[in-house]
Amino acid sequence: MSQRWILLWLLMLSLPVLAELDYGLKPRLIADNTWVLEGSTDNFAKDNGGNIVNVGFIVTEPGVVVIDTGPSKRYGEALRQTIAGITDKPVIQVLLTHHHPDHALGNQAFKDVPIGALAGTTELLHEQGDSMAENLYRMVGDWMRGTEVVMPNQTLQPGVKSFGSHDLQLLQLRGHTGADLAIFDQKTGVLFAGDLVFYQRALTTPHSPGLLIWLADIATLQGLPWTLIVPGHGPIATDAKPFEQMHDYLTWLDQLLRDGAAQGSDMPELIRSPIPERFAAISLSRYELIRSVTHLYPHYERTQMQPINTQQ
Amino acid sequence: MRLRGWWVFCLPMLAWGAPVDPVPSVMWAYYHQRFLDNAPFLFDERVKLLAPPFAEDARQVPLEIDARAFEGEVVKILAWAELNPLPQIVDFQPLERVLPWLSIRIRIEQATPLRAAVLTKDGIWHVGSTLIDAAGGGCTAPSVVRTQPGWEDHLGEVLGGRYPRAAFSRLKLQVAHPMDNGMVSGIPEFFINQAELHGVNNQLLARLELFPAVSENPNLAFDVEGAGPTRLTLRDTSGSQFEAAIP
Repeated sequence: MSQRWILLWLLMLSLPVLAELDYGLKPRLIADNTWVLEGSTDNFAKDNGGNIVNVGFIVTEPGVVVIDTGPSKRYGEALRQTIAGITDKPVIQVLLTHHHPDHALGNQAFKDVPIGALAGTTELLHEQGDSMAENLYRMVGDWMRGTEVVMPNQTLQPGVKSFGSHDLQLLQLRGHTGADLAIFDQKTGVLFAGDLVFYQRALTTPHSPGLLIWLADIATLQGLPWTLIVPGHGPIATDAKPFEQMHDYLTWLDQLLRDGAAQGSDMPELIRSPIPERFAAISLSRYELIRSVTHLYPHYERTQMQPINTQQ
Repeated sequence: MRLRGWWVFCLPMLAWGAPVDPVPSVMWAYYHQRFLDNAPFLFDERVKLLAPPFAEDARQVPLEIDARAFEGEVVKILAWAELNPLPQIVDFQPLERVLPWLSIRIRIEQATPLRAAVLTKDGIWHVGSTLIDAAGGGCTAPSVVRTQPGWEDHLGEVLGGRYPRAAFSRLKLQVAHPMDNGMVSGIPEFFINQAELHGVNNQLLARLELFPAVSENPNLAFDVEGAGPTRLTLRDTSGSQFEAAIP
């Protein structure tokens, strides 16, 4: 009798686990033939399955062009189903904006399609993909089940790549990871900025070659004749506010680290720095400050130190 | 709300005079015996052990140990990471003009309680504690230094700076050294284990014993009162000695 009770309890406890994990993707038409699936501005967590990212697709005459594949196999499959619910046209191209796991771990669902990326992106994914995937398993758990890194099979060159009437301008930039692709649709004026633009969500710096390089990229993007900006994370905008926020935040972060190094501050001091009130609406700014200080501060520190050996 | 419940739970222990550990630890009694020789101690919030809540890079975790509340009373400061395979971090003795404050970067192998135990002249250990979360692997990750061609040529090179503050100067140092902890296959222990700060007339200002939980290319910072040049002497486990001077 008591064993039956235990069984019943175990069954009840395990039911929530057995419930199907569902991303509930809701495609939104943002321009002619252009759709976006907007993720949350939170961090990776078990309650969002890593759906913290904006993924897009363009339904062109010959077929669908997908921009980023999401954080997991499950997401990639859900994305593909979502696309099939909107058009009968086949997926003919995947474009990866960069190698980070939330943008590229849905590749498994697109193995039959050319997956294009900058050469640097493929190299970084090859180096870091497995360890980044492991970290996501740790952070979001069962949503990741079965997810494996699938490498891009096509190297993208900067320039215009046309799909039917959509001439897509591919920009090769560097500020976020060292190999960042931005995609500007000359037909609709939609700019898929990838993670070069975070909006209302603190930017992340684990592979950034430098904040000044990133600032230059922001200027490049802002100079395009865009009508609509799709950031890698955060809400879509029709005005320049995402660029202004990026410029403001990058400038502040650079100055904070510069001043800290000049004053000899140590990392824990910088991590405790006040975050300006004007950034209050930006999600995860304290969390990302802790990360960015770890990533970037050693470089700033060294510029304010001299060789001081007296003998060897 | 949670905190209130927690205190109620601890009341009987308080009544018996047992100190309340501010962090969940399964190892305190062991380390109390091993490092503090079961000597009298207090869990003491006046010892500030400051670390980020999580390790973004488990090979370079910044710590700040602040025992300035006990200025003039400090004999030595021991720090360790409880769940590290090699827990000990540093034995720091600020002697003359050096404040009981230290900044250092360490490796951690997993999420762990961190401790800084400050021995005051009355023979009591004051223990500061914090918790850090981590994906892990910092102690067993391959060396970054050793992947850089020609790293041997830079061994023992010291970068440093003096940064004047109101009542003291901050001295910051970074030493080129792989700090091999013996946990990476095929590479035996090889780390800087002794450091000393001297003032003018060779006056000893501070003495440090370092352990292999200290990160490669060790970073250290001290707060020193008064002016005058400061000399740093370092020795590693192979007997090499390195010297540097901060004007």
